[in-house]
Order: sequence, then C-alpha cells, then structure tokens
Amino acid sequence: MSIKPISFLGGVDPADGKIIEKKHDLCGTCIKDKILVFPHGHGSTVGSYVMYSLAKKGLGPAAIINQTADPVVVVGAIIANIPMIDQVDIGKFRTGDTVEVDGSKGVARILKRRES
Amino acid sequence: MQLTREEERIYDGERGWANQTCMKILVRLGELFGAEKLIPIDSAHVSGVSYKTLGDAPIEFLRTLADSDGRVKVRTTLNPQSLDSQYLRKKVEESLQEPQLDILRQFERMGLTQSLTCTPYYLHRLARGSHHAWAESSAVVYANSVLGAWTNREGGPSALAAAIIGKTPDYGIHRAGNRRPNVTVKVEAKLTDPTKLGALGIFLGKTLGDKIPTITGLPNTSRDDLKQLCAAIATTGMTNMFHTGSKTTTEGAERICVDSDQIERTIEELSGGTGKPDLVFLGCPHCSLDEMRRIAELIEGKRVRASVEFWVCTSCHVRRAAAAYVKRIEEAGGHVLDGVCTVVSWTEKLGIRTIMTNSAKTAYYAPTLNKAEAVLAPMEDCLESTLR
Repeated sequence: MSIKPISFLGGVDPADGKIIEKKHDLCGTCIKDKILVFPHGHGSTVGSYVMYSLAKKGLGPAAIINQTADPVVVVGAIIANIPMIDQVDIGKFRTGDTVEVDGSKGVARILKRRES
Repeated sequence: MQLTREEERIYDGERGWANQTCMKILVRLGELFGAEKLIPIDSAHVSGVSYKTLGDAPIEFLRTLADSDGRVKVRTTLNPQSLDSQYLRKKVEESLQEPQLDILRQFERMGLTQSLTCTPYYLHRLARGSHHAWAESSAVVYANSVLGAWTNREGGPSALAAAIIGKTPDYGIHRAGNRRPNVTVKVEAKLTDPTKLGALGIFLGKTLGDKIPTITGLPNTSRDDLKQLCAAIATTGMTNMFHTGSKTTTEGAERICVDSDQIERTIEELSGGTGKPDLVFLGCPHCSLDEMRRIAELIEGKRVRASVEFWVCTSCHVRRAAAAYVKRIEEAGGHVLDGVCTVVSWTEKLGIRTIMTNSAKTAYYAPTLNKAEAVLAPMEDCLESTLR
C-alpha cells in the first residue's frame, strides 16, 4: 500500500517485479502476487505493456486497488488480466492487511488487519 | 456504455481474443471518461515503436495480438523507430536491431503501414471534422488545431485497440462542445522564427495544463512553423488543441500574456549546452517537403564540417518526394535519416554529448532521453555552425 502514484515504465523492474523508483516509499518491494493499493498510475503508456509482461512472467500483482483510475493502469489491467477496482478510499488499507478483491463486482473487503 | 449487438459479440469474445481485448480497452476507457458510445474513425496512428523506449515489454503482447488475428480495420500509421535502415543500422550494435525488427514485424502482421513518422499528415489528407484515434502528441495537436480533424490524445495501446476495432469511445474533443477555447493567450513577444514558436509552446504547455487556448498575436506563420508550436505545447502540457485568431472564449475565461522575456528565458532554460555540438539535428517533428527544400537551398555549395554530425530526419515518403534535395544534403556531407526519431534513437551510444537543434521538443527531451546537452537555435544558425 502506498499513497504515491506508480509508474510501471521505469518504476517497476520487469525482470523481478520489484519497485525501483528511487524516491518511492515501496522502493525495493516486490509486487508479485500482492494486492497493490496505490492512488493511480502515472508516466508513459508503455507502462500498460510492462504490466502485461510482468503478468506473463508470473510477476504481476494479484489485484490492483486504485483511488482513481488512469488510462495506463486501466489498459494494463485489461491486457494483463489483473482484477482492478477504482474509486476506493485507499486510506483504509495498511500494508500487510489481508484483503479480498472481486474485480467483476468492484468490491474490496479487508478480511484481516495486519498485526501491529 | 451503449454497445451495438456486434460490439457486444466482440466484447464477449465471439470474434477472438485480440478483438475482445481491444474492445475491452475501448469500453473501459470510454466508461472512465464518460463516453456513451463508440464512434467510427477514419484512421489511427500508433506510437510506441522504438525499441529504445519500449524495451522488451510489449513484444510479446504485440505478437499475441497478431497471433490471435488482430488486424487493423482502418488505415493505421506508425511512429518512428530507433534507427534508420541505412546510416544508423551500420553504427548501432546488432543486439539492439533484432528486437526493433521484431516489433516492426508484429505491427506489419497486424496490417499497420510502415510509415515510421511522427508527421502522418504529410502522407494522407485528413478531412475537416473527421474522427481519428492518434497517439503521438505533436500530431494530435497538429491534426486538431491546424487541420481541423478530431482526435483525442491516445496512448500507444489505446490507439492500437482503436485501429483493430475501427472505432474510438466518444469523449473528449470528439465532442464539439469540448473543443471550444477556455483561455485566451495574448502573445506580445515578436516571434521572429519558428524556434520561438516552439519556445512559446513549451511555456504554454507548462502554464495551461489541459486547457484549450485561443492564441492571438501570432505572426503570419506557415503550417510548418505551427508544427513547432504543436510539438512543444504537447511536450510540457496535456493541451490537445489550440485556436488562433480571435475566436471568442467563454465569458470570464482566464487571460494570459506572453512577453519577449518569457520566450527568451524559456529558450535559455532549454538551451543548457555549453560544449560544441557534436550533432546538429533538424527534423523534429519530421521535415516536410518544403523544409527539405529550404535546407537543401541553404546547404548548396557548402560542406558539413568534419567535427560534427549533421542529421535531417523525415519519413521515407517525404524522402522519396524530396530525392533531389536529399542528394544535395548528402553530397554536402549531411545524413538524411528516414523513419527514425533522434530523441528515441541511440545517440548516447554513438558518443553524442551535445545536440544542437531548431526543435524545442528535442531540446526539452535531450538531457533525459539522450543524456545530452541541448543547444536550441533557429534552423539558419544550426546550419551556420554545421557548414564551412
């Protein structure tokens, strides 16, 4: 979970699925099989292709939850077949929470809070 | 969104994976931006062609689309690639060429024309008021503002999806009401050459965000000169079009004045290069036939200095039409490169550290995309420092 936008082109390493954007608070975190919560994407539309490439290699996120949808992530989620929901108050989520996402209904449910 | 029965069939996968995926992209984007339906388009223009900017990520997606019978339904042109088939091909290492060729092959399988240009409007005439789905922001602004054709600013994937479906979601400036100016720009600066029009674009892009300006006070400019404004305004902003002249804005709309100081300061900011240029580059956006003639006239009887590379970029289409001018430029020691864009080519691998150009867009991108310093100057000055 991050309150910072993510650029898939240049911000995520297509070789291992780690976030590599230097000033990002998730820098060094691997997105593989995670439910990735962030406000929205930014940067080049090539980012959609990067999402496809990650998913093909099994390095993609399990699902995406966005505050607002943007074209790069929307297109990327479609071609990579990653469940994605938007218009969610992402402030409700904490890194480490157990979350269920139903992409077709557009619902996310927090099943278990991270143990603090 | 309201879909026709055929569109629904495509959406449900009855016309294969490629069509289904493309339809899903268009429908989802349409929903995101409040479109109620899809509208037919006359043409598409796809960006995201250079292997340098794309990397390996899209190749597999493009191949899968082509494998599952993704074929374009409308005339679809392609943006420039990372090298040309003659000059740079001999200079760029083999391992960077094969993936580039692979990308082009996949596009070709889907029926895109290998136009490889950022100025597709020199290849085909666009009817006023006709709808298109173009990526390549400079061409989008030119189509809307200079040619009166209608296109949103697509990304590479959405333009490709529109090409394969032959339609685009009806939102943004496909709707007449959204094409009206909502800010007035009064240019007080004397814009004596096209490079200054480029600087104006860079300044306005930063200031306007996605607003549509009416620009007054422009000198009598040719379409070629306006091309510099189009490219630059799209580089720093999300503006899709501008109006010129006295088209009235909505009452109470914001007014912006641009004076000579602001233009000069913008040129200084873009022109950070201190060293001697090792590349002088004209042709961003790609040169028109008239621009090729102008360069050939200025170069006549002179020679390119041994210490500098001189590149002129254009499309293979214009190159063919300009054969006599190409000959003159090349006899003088310059290189006319077609199908390539300097900004997305491998200049840093050729040891190029300072690029002199008449293009504000190139000057803006050179430090990040080419790892080079830029010197921004009018075409005549560029040639002056190239020739002996």
